Amino acid sequence: MSKIARRGLLARSGLVLPLLSAPSLARAQGGFPNGPIKLIVPFAPGGSTDLVARLIATPLSEKLGAAVTIDNRAGAGATVGSIAVQQSAPDGQTLLLSNIASQAIAPFLYPGLRYDVMRDFTHIAMITTNPSVFVANKDSGIRTMADVARVHRAAAEGIDMASSGVGSSNHMLIVMLGQLLGKPVNHIPFRGAGPAMTAVLAGQVPLMSDSLPSSVSHLRQGSVRAIGMASPERHPLFPDIPTLREQGYDLASTSWFGLSGPAGMQPAVVERLNREVSSILSQPDIQLRFRDLGGTAQAMQASEFQEFVRRELDKWGPVVRASGARVE
Amino acid sequence: MKINQRDIASGVFFIVLAAIGLWLNTEHTMGSARRMGPGYMPWLVFWLQIALGVGVVLVGTASGPEKMDRWKADEIGTFIGGIVAGFAAWWLLHSLGGYFAIGYNSLGCGILVGFLVLSIAPGWRFLGMIMVSMAIFALLLEQFGFFAALIGLIVASCLPEREHTSKPLGVLLCTLFLLALCWFVFIYELDIRVNLWPTG
Amino acid sequence: METLIGNLAHGFGVAISFTNLGAALLGALIGTAIGVLPGIGPVATISLLLPITFGMSATTAIIMLAGIFYGAQYGGSTTAILLNLPGEVSSVVTTLEGYKMARNGRAGAALTTAALGSFFAGTVATVLVAASGPLLTQVALSFGPADYFSLMLLGLIIASVLAQGSIVKAIGMVVVGVALGLVGTDVQTGQQRFTFGIPELSDGIGFVPVAMGMFGIAEIVLNLERPEARSVLSTKVGSLYLTREEFKRSIAPVLRGTVVGSVLGILPGGGASLAAFGSYMMERKLSRYRHQFGNGAIEGVAGPESANNAAAQTSFIPLLTLGIPSNAVMALMVGALIIQGIQPGPRMVEAQPDLFWGLIASMWVGNLMLLVINLPMIGMWVSLLKVPYKYMYPSILVFCSIGVYSLNNNVFDVYMTILFSVFGYLCNKLRMEAAPLLIGFVLGPMMEEHLRRAMLLSRGDAMVFLQRPISATLLGIGAAALLAMALPSLRKGKNAAMAE
Repeated sequence: MSKIARRGLLARSGLVLPLLSAPSLARAQGGFPNGPIKLIVPFAPGGSTDLVARLIATPLSEKLGAAVTIDNRAGAGATVGSIAVQQSAPDGQTLLLSNIASQAIAPFLYPGLRYDVMRDFTHIAMITTNPSVFVANKDSGIRTMADVARVHRAAAEGIDMASSGVGSSNHMLIVMLGQLLGKPVNHIPFRGAGPAMTAVLAGQVPLMSDSLPSSVSHLRQGSVRAIGMASPERHPLFPDIPTLREQGYDLASTSWFGLSGPAGMQPAVVERLNREVSSILSQPDIQLRFRDLGGTAQAMQASEFQEFVRRELDKWGPVVRASGARVE
Repeated sequence: MKINQRDIASGVFFIVLAAIGLWLNTEHTMGSARRMGPGYMPWLVFWLQIALGVGVVLVGTASGPEKMDRWKADEIGTFIGGIVAGFAAWWLLHSLGGYFAIGYNSLGCGILVGFLVLSIAPGWRFLGMIMVSMAIFALLLEQFGFFAALIGLIVASCLPEREHTSKPLGVLLCTLFLLALCWFVFIYELDIRVNLWPTG
Repeated sequence: METLIGNLAHGFGVAISFTNLGAALLGALIGTAIGVLPGIGPVATISLLLPITFGMSATTAIIMLAGIFYGAQYGGSTTAILLNLPGEVSSVVTTLEGYKMARNGRAGAALTTAALGSFFAGTVATVLVAASGPLLTQVALSFGPADYFSLMLLGLIIASVLAQGSIVKAIGMVVVGVALGLVGTDVQTGQQRFTFGIPELSDGIGFVPVAMGMFGIAEIVLNLERPEARSVLSTKVGSLYLTREEFKRSIAPVLRGTVVGSVLGILPGGGASLAAFGSYMMERKLSRYRHQFGNGAIEGVAGPESANNAAAQTSFIPLLTLGIPSNAVMALMVGALIIQGIQPGPRMVEAQPDLFWGLIASMWVGNLMLLVINLPMIGMWVSLLKVPYKYMYPSILVFCSIGVYSLNNNVFDVYMTILFSVFGYLCNKLRMEAAPLLIGFVLGPMMEEHLRRAMLLSRGDAMVFLQRPISATLLGIGAAALLAMALPSLRKGKNAAMAE
């Protein structure tokens, strides 16, 4: 079973490059990895989380000498996939692509949640982070945060603002913006960033809080206008876009993606995985790939990552409670 | 009399389903027309369904005459017995733990027992046994592997068919052929993620 | 015009390279194979195959993935026609007349007309995408939430036309479908509705378990209970080819279906799922042979299949011009491109002309290959029907069960299929039809989403549905359709009353 390539039609067709079909299957010492590794992605194929997983899976399987197969288990704000990992054996063969939604926001959104983010998981390595960005329709007349504030005050029910969905970090940013502006923003949730962006392009919604990766091509093309980057500093890819903080709004939200496993993994396995992920993240081509997507490859020690997740929980709890979003 | 029993039963079915829905929906907030809550749309849908149900019943009083097949005594008995036995098995087995506490295994056993009881009546046999065979597949697949699950499914689904029970050799050949075909299609070609053999 | 021809020539230059032709052929083959297997959809397959594409050039990769996408559509209609097993919404419509044709011994004709119609529609739609893709984007952008709501409502109204029997009952089934679609996480608030605390239900009830249970499995039980019905299946395998009469009857439906499908496919908010049964409804109203509908009318296969394939091509427009995927398969293609370091979007035409025009040319090449692959295979498919039913039904059960399981690698979906099989069986006994239910099930959630978004944006003013011209027009058509349906039955009722 430890082949990366499909054994079927494709492998035989000769279209597959040799480098993909057979990574050296050197069995590692200490029994890890013992057969293929299942990387559970708690979102549907094609989304940004799925992309991060696929970008990291191929180099990781080369480094570990075992196939890393991606298993998409979407559902319930990424909690279905997280539960699947929580319940599997802590031998390092089943891993989770952890992220801000399932590990930092969902715990406050789902009061009946069956896992504890710190107690039930081993957080192994950070992979990448990316900021959020506020974008506006080109013909909306909105250019800066001052315009946003003006339109918001003038509208009885607040300005309309789209997001990729309830419970996303972008939604939380909208809630925080409403707090800063003194009255709630009229949040228009969509099913994913694509439909939300369509509505902004068409002028149905003037403003959107989006993760940078899904906005990159539109910003480059100039089909939407950037209002501000929700990050502490300007982004290297778009040095001309001012931050929200520069405009007097202390709003920042960084989406993150990491590697986690069930609780009780052996320190040696955690160490090995962290080392391999860190060395992959130091490769220039991987860094470039993440940068093109609007993200930053970010290596961390396992203990640092563990601490990072803890701080994220402290940060998002009050925001989610203030948002009033709750899943019974 | 022009009563159409089928239409009346359908209408009653719509109404009952909608009434259950409305009852469940009471836990969802309605919200306002501007900011509709989670309960707004269900409320609209279920009331519409009740109205349509009433409409179907009214039409049914005039669109007949049409009668439903009358249920025999054994069919009524196994129907009720199946439901009772199914729920009892589900509940009892779940408290046993072990294999039954994994995933949906106790639910599957409930379904299995319920439909086995149902298929005692000859009139329900095909329905009961086809569902039993699929439940067997689901129960065996993850813990006992792909091949065991397929054998269980094929054999159980062949049991109610008289042409098969008189010629068990045909069932055997059919099973072997399907095992080979499914291995080739799903495991060799598509490589779906599933255990082939029982796991410890 | 000249630039168009130049661009297309460039595109064909890319598409007809040895590697890319191979990729298109391979994609079409894999797509057909997985389309034929019930439950295994293109999304699952493409996500399994994505790692392979990393080793190819971006153009080759996307050509192969696109091939899988339309291959799966072709394959899906084969299973729908032969076994009454719809794998997606559009095939639900194909089962209605297609499976009936198969039972009348015309399976070969149904498959042939589906293949030819799809090829024609695919060709027209490809030219449309190439010639006016960017212009058509404006159509996609001019549809707001209010317009989508009205479109979905119109879809639900005409869904009741799918039924053969009582209209009121059919509308009732549409509404039951909408109710089933309510299960899951509420998009606007994130609240769980009617999920009974089951995490698997938080994304809603799956389409495949419902469709497979209510159509395929329920049909197996019913066939087993009626020994006379199953002998028909294995004995009546008529001529493979279209008769001259059947060919003539297919022409107008194919043309109309192509138009309907091309237009609806452009709309990323769910238009493509309306294409097939929009066309079915049209044929049922317009065809000279409308009295044959429900008993295997070839128009009911030719039109919807063409519409469906046209929509499959034009649904690439939002992806190619806006960079926005209009369904899950396209989302995966975006993923494949991004992994290759290409950002799909408005700049793709200038930045990646090889990719853009190569893909468009390969759409046509892919359709041609599907025709070449599928026409000779029709004989093989039809001869499958000669397998005695006693061996056929365990095979269908096996393939369905594995297919359903592999959707999410979760046995819960198998239990859901059991539930809906029993439900489908009971519905059949009560003469309640499954097709309208499935349409309601698919369109209901989209309708709710657009309704609530429209109301959020209009600050609670329902007049928005009448003030927007597109929405008002669609609602008008819907009202007229309701009237047209209600009138004959009212008149019939009156006549019956008088006769008494």
